[in-house]
Amino acid sequence: MGLIQRAIEARGVPTVSVTVARDVTEAIKVPRAVFLPWPMGHHFGVPFRRDLQRRVVLAALGLLETSNEPGTILDLLIKWADVRREAKTLTEQGRKL
Amino acid sequence: MTAADKQHALSATDPRESGTQLRAGLWQTINERYPGSMIRKESYVGQARLAKPLTECRLTLVSSCGVHLKTEKPLDVCHPFGDFRFMRVPSGAKHEELIIHQLKYPHDDADLDINVIFPIERLQELSQEGQLGELTANFFSFIGYNMDPEKFERTLAAGIAEAVVEEEHADCALLAPA
Repeated sequence: MGLIQRAIEARGVPTVSVTVARDVTEAIKVPRAVFLPWPMGHHFGVPFRRDLQRRVVLAALGLLETSNEPGTILDLLIKWADVRREAKTLTEQGRKL
Repeated sequence: MTAADKQHALSATDPRESGTQLRAGLWQTINERYPGSMIRKESYVGQARLAKPLTECRLTLVSSCGVHLKTEKPLDVCHPFGDFRFMRVPSGAKHEELIIHQLKYPHDDADLDINVIFPIERLQELSQEGQLGELTANFFSFIGYNMDPEKFERTLAAGIAEAVVEEEHADCALLAPA
């Protein structure tokens, strides 16, 4: 994904990525990214937590406007354990819908 | 991994050594599991600037989650070196119309709510609320775990970048690896 991000940015379009693997993102030297300490497959949080999903999207979009340095990585250190706990009930409700 | 390799992996230039690595043990495992992720770049590409405020920008979304319309044929998830094609997903699509075909990451939660990995409905809302100018007609999706980074850069990365700029005329792009 970092290679795609670099290719798009090199064509003059600003890009931002959302990552859960900080070392990979650092190694590939992306223009800008938001890092979340969450598991693979959950970059925007958990099912039915619209507020949380929005928060990640907005943080990423905000970085498009504010970052000046290539390689800026914003750490959004929201604990996965907290997210997961709140998500359990929502997921059960969602399954019933 | 031999002892010498391990020593090399922990050399001073390694991000785990410089203190920027938050979960050292885990990421080392991921790098061993996904050799493609170990590619490095020597230098940064220059940062492009937003030409106008976000409220007037046309945004596109690129994801490696392997999502596509249920009516379309999925990409090849079984090829040992990966599938180097990409698919277009209409930006107006809803959760019910989409399906994920990819074996390399857990997508049980994303199957319940696609926005966990491909925040298409959140972007539709932001665009309707006026926080974003508009969305490109199509978003982009492919399957990660491609074992030939050079070919990946030459074909898939160039292809998506070309489509983002030439076909969709995007002003900015959000990338969501899976």
